[in-house]
Amino acid sequence: MLVSGYYSWNWLEATHVLTLMISIGSLFIIDFRMLGWVLPDVSATAIADRLHKPMIIGFSIMFITGILLVYAKPVENVQSLWFRIKMILLVLAFINAWVFNSRMRAADGTWDSTRVAPKPLRTGAIISLCLWCGVVAMGRFIPYDWVDCPKVSNTALLWASGCVEQLNAL
Amino acid sequence: MNNSKWDDRTIAAASSSVIIVGALLYYWVGEVQSTVELLERAYGSLKFFNNPMIF
Amino acid sequence: MLSNFLSNYRSVTSLAFIVLAVVLVEFFEVRASIYPSLLPFFEWLKYSSWIGYLGITYGSVYATVQAGHLISMAIIGGTVLVTDLRLLGVLLKDIPSETITKGTHQCFKYSLSVAIATGIFCAAGVADKVYYMPVFWIKMLALLAGSGFVFFIKQPLLNSRSHSEIGQWTLRILAVASIFIWFTVAATGRWIGFS
Repeated sequence: MLVSGYYSWNWLEATHVLTLMISIGSLFIIDFRMLGWVLPDVSATAIADRLHKPMIIGFSIMFITGILLVYAKPVENVQSLWFRIKMILLVLAFINAWVFNSRMRAADGTWDSTRVAPKPLRTGAIISLCLWCGVVAMGRFIPYDWVDCPKVSNTALLWASGCVEQLNAL
Repeated sequence: MNNSKWDDRTIAAASSSVIIVGALLYYWVGEVQSTVELLERAYGSLKFFNNPMIF
Repeated sequence: MLSNFLSNYRSVTSLAFIVLAVVLVEFFEVRASIYPSLLPFFEWLKYSSWIGYLGITYGSVYATVQAGHLISMAIIGGTVLVTDLRLLGVLLKDIPSETITKGTHQCFKYSLSVAIATGIFCAAGVADKVYYMPVFWIKMLALLAGSGFVFFIKQPLLNSRSHSEIGQWTLRILAVASIFIWFTVAATGRWIGFS
């Protein structure tokens, strides 16, 4: 129904993509602040604290719409190499966010008003930027059919995409 | 420039903002209307339940 | 007297001139006469330019650039939200809005440049298709209006004085217009892909 409805799929996907501006937008502003690229004269923890709420709202909408998008086309998604990589990157991004957050809480407060954050936090910010860029790129690759099961003959790729039929036929 | 509160830049900013908001509201309301019309044509009437548009 | 008025109200006069030009273009159907002459450019963009060639030939390059376009759009969204929600008094209320406006503008400029560069690449790959899409032209118009609004109206006003000297409602309507126009640019962009 989601796929066959007149606009339902488009609306869902548009919401999923446009919410990037809230979720990843806020997250990148926090990461950029740690690196001293934006708002260098504003307290870094103030930026991280205040942007936490819009970021969580954005990510919640993304998760709900994301789950519905997978639910609408389960096989295409679950057997997509890009989707699988995206999920791994998402898990890594969350682990990184958790580590980053606990490091930020534990860090001595004197760095807060300096232009750039201490090295561990900067590293965390760069890892976060890379992982989320990867998540967006993998999300963008999902609709492309370069490595769809019927098109692939490489065993490793077939295994990675979970193409059981093609693997059995080999 | 004059020092009054409503100087050149402020008038330009306020009026262009009003023009932009007005034009975009006109556009989006038009889009919603045509979408509702299209859905009504496709499904007979616009229902919020049991409509393939709603999951 | 007229020259005195024009020099004192340069921004207002320019704005009135632009609005008048848009109305005239609409009424005298200038758009309809210009539109066909743009087709050769779009065809050249897709079939003869190197960016069009790259986009059509290498799907992976096209998708990667699209991802870059999305990321830059997300950063634009972040800077617009932070700046305009601050002007509306929703976020970061304890930090002066002058500091926020100045601190995010550079980032906004860079991400807008990346979005435009990647956007040209994305449009080139499907130039013969987007040419016929009203939503593409709406996006271009919104992008033009949004950029003009930010660089010639919003920033000059916000940088010219302390924000407490600008009326509360002026700041609010500025922020609403800014959020609305950049949302429209992004949403119409997403719709291009569906049409």
